Amino acid sequence: MPVLTLQRSYKYIMYATKQPSLRIKQADLKCKSGCGFFGNADWEGYCSQCYRNHTDSERQKKSHQGGSSDHSKAQVSGFSKFEEKKRQQTDKKTRYMKSLPVFRKTSNVKDVGRPENLVDIMRQANPEANKLMAEFIAQYSQYGEGIRKDFLKCSQAFSNKIVKELDVKPMEDLAEIAQNYYNQYQNRVNSNPTYQNVPNDVKDRLVEFFENFTMISLYNFLFCPPTTNDEEKDLTIQGRIRKLSWVNAHHLDCCISETSIEVRDLVYTAINDLLGMDSMRAPQEKLACVVKCCRSVVEVLQHCQGGPVSADEFLPALIFVVLKANPARLKSNILYVTRFCKESRLMQGEAGYYFTNLCCAVSFIENLTAESLNMPEQEFEAYMSGEVTCVSAWESALVACEGMHQLREHLALLKGLSERTQIVQNTTKSLWEDMQKLKEGICESVDSVLERTPLIIKPRTSPLALTREQLLAQAAARTAPNPPEPEPEPAPRNFYLKNLSFGHLSAFETPKSKLQLDISPCIALKPSHSGDQLSSPAIDKTPGSLTPDDNSFLGLSKVNYDIDLSDLSTENSAADELTPDKRKSPTPSVDPFSPVGGSCPVAQPPLEPSRGEFVLPFLVEETLIDKSELTPAASLPPPLVPSAPEYSGFSKQGSRIPSIPCSTGDYSSLTSSPGHSNA
Amino acid sequence: MSAGPYNYSYIFKYIIIGDMGVGKSCLLHQFTEKKFMADCPHTIGVEFGTRIIEVSGQKIKLQIWDTAGQERFRAVTRSYYRGAAGALMVYDITRRSTYNHLSSWLTDTRNLTNPSTVIFLIGNKCDLEGQRDVTYEEASKFAEENGLMFVEASAKTGDNVEEAFLETAKKIYQSIQDGRLDLNAAESGVQHKPSQPGRNPLSNDQQANKDNCAC
Repeated sequence: MPVLTLQRSYKYIMYATKQPSLRIKQADLKCKSGCGFFGNADWEGYCSQCYRNHTDSERQKKSHQGGSSDHSKAQVSGFSKFEEKKRQQTDKKTRYMKSLPVFRKTSNVKDVGRPENLVDIMRQANPEANKLMAEFIAQYSQYGEGIRKDFLKCSQAFSNKIVKELDVKPMEDLAEIAQNYYNQYQNRVNSNPTYQNVPNDVKDRLVEFFENFTMISLYNFLFCPPTTNDEEKDLTIQGRIRKLSWVNAHHLDCCISETSIEVRDLVYTAINDLLGMDSMRAPQEKLACVVKCCRSVVEVLQHCQGGPVSADEFLPALIFVVLKANPARLKSNILYVTRFCKESRLMQGEAGYYFTNLCCAVSFIENLTAESLNMPEQEFEAYMSGEVTCVSAWESALVACEGMHQLREHLALLKGLSERTQIVQNTTKSLWEDMQKLKEGICESVDSVLERTPLIIKPRTSPLALTREQLLAQAAARTAPNPPEPEPEPAPRNFYLKNLSFGHLSAFETPKSKLQLDISPCIALKPSHSGDQLSSPAIDKTPGSLTPDDNSFLGLSKVNYDIDLSDLSTENSAADELTPDKRKSPTPSVDPFSPVGGSCPVAQPPLEPSRGEFVLPFLVEETLIDKSELTPAASLPPPLVPSAPEYSGFSKQGSRIPSIPCSTGDYSSLTSSPGHSNA
Repeated sequence: MSAGPYNYSYIFKYIIIGDMGVGKSCLLHQFTEKKFMADCPHTIGVEFGTRIIEVSGQKIKLQIWDTAGQERFRAVTRSYYRGAAGALMVYDITRRSTYNHLSSWLTDTRNLTNPSTVIFLIGNKCDLEGQRDVTYEEASKFAEENGLMFVEASAKTGDNVEEAFLETAKKIYQSIQDGRLDLNAAESGVQHKPSQPGRNPLSNDQQANKDNCAC
């Protein structure tokens, strides 16, 4: 843009030839009334004193005109007029009552109600205030409960008063009320006997805290209130600053070098400080943000100049920062601080000075013209209307920086991710180790159990005679396995036997089941034992053959189901009923078991009923089988589990006593399906 | 005092978020001024705009916070999530990277707002169909998966801009009616301004509570 560069060089010439000065004229800052003090845009160009006089006289004029205009503003109906009167009365009352806190409660009850509620809502919805209160208690509790009570009393009176007057009085009056309360509390702290023992510095802090606490709890009502046009002002200046985005440091004749990275970072710090102002709530905090920002600006200037900073240089730099920052709700914030920050703080000290500077900067921006920027009218207009746009170093740097910024951000993110991955890997490893340990532990305990158990089982003497038969049966089974079995006689009728045989079968089929054997004896003693799972594989093989029998049994088993439920605890009774064989031979002694083992291979069909007999608690499960028998393959496995212990027990025996002669009768009984036996 | 203090019954706070240059400020400007702002300067920190709309016969003032997309100001903008009743999450349909960042914006929003906050996904610059980099289907699937409302809009032509803001308001208003959104909650992002000096029925209950209170 050749035109632009020309224009800029023109500016340089201007700078060189003419000693640049602050472009706010003295006269602009003076009070409108001509009293000689400086005025302020927020006070309509008056100084504070004249502004007050001015507004007072205005108000008087208004009241002479009649209260109607005031009323219409607040949308006051006939009833609320009465309400207002009442309110005023109560105001007087509360003012009096304040000194007599005992009566506060009664005054509350008589109150119109609404202010209390608002205060109430305000409390609820203000966790920050609650936090502050907790802080207060933590800090000042050492000086006695009285202080806390007094503090609460005063702050509540203040809040109530403000909320009451909120719709009725203009903000300026509320500000005055606030100032009065601040002073009252200060006097109270200094004179009231409650505060006798409090050291002076704590008193100061208490006064400050009073302001802080009340303002934070009233923030929603007092900041940018809908009764004022603060928000419009905010929008106006926001739009204006946006339009002025082309203004750079040279226009303002300030020495900030926009191209230096360090300077830019410092300026960003200042901008961030200023932006923080809107998120703060208490006036002091907002003021603190301004102070922080201004200090950063001073730092920027020091960096650029390498020397001390004069006020003449400071203001343009601050203007630059404000222009670049375009802080949210700038006017509202300034007005809020002006109204509700304790006056003494605004009038003196560093904070007061910087805040005044900020106000000046804002009013400069509001009134900025071509002349104040030392540029031709046309050029100014061209910029303002957007006809000419210049890509400032600032803007482009902003974009470029963003790229860098994101890069850095992503690198940080990656680093974090890799750290987390590392952690995950480590935990995985430790988890793996834990699992290994657990596995070993289980193996060990299983081993130890195995070592212990066999001892218990061994002593078996009586069944020897049977065993021989058993062996024979086995032999028979091997020779003619599946089909023939169903036919044989129902002689022994002991379903125990069947079980036993089954166990035996499993032992034969799966040599692994030796382990199970060890456990089974215990189980035999106590049917509900948990060895089941181990033995289950052996059983799983049987179901296929079982199913037909089960089907035939269906009716019976269902009947049994009910019975089983009722007397789970009782011994075989239920099972006995199930199987007629049982009834016939009510002495299911231990002896029969052992021989049965021999009948193993084909014995499968009758197994189910036997299970029931054996392990009473599991009867229910047996019935489950019955229910699901329609789809035998799927249903069978679960019920088998319970019965497992029995088999295993027997199977173990079987394995131990392979030499027992088999009793063919037993065998046949096992093989015979219940249906047959019935027949 | 140009306008009456209470010519609306609610204030809803919105926040507009999304990557740099997706057109957040332009969306806001289009909504509040009904104009397209060419050469919009980069937003620093936050800016805001307001407009009064009407939902189900209720006048509602939208106070919309337009945040800077830059990381540098994330610290500042974060404080504005708190207390937003609606969040408009914007991406640029011509730049996939802005779409890819949505999940991180969403995480931020979910973490910093309250659960009742309505999140609306806007694919901006839909007038630039030729340069499209993110399909409508893809984005709407993303929106569906995350329970967001979604529309493609153009701040330049004004397509769907109004709708996005209004739909969000409707949803918020609905959750107020349903009682899902507690007006008294600290950061609900909704302020109730009774249009009459007469108070809402709530106050009676609270009065009773107050009387019981010993303090």
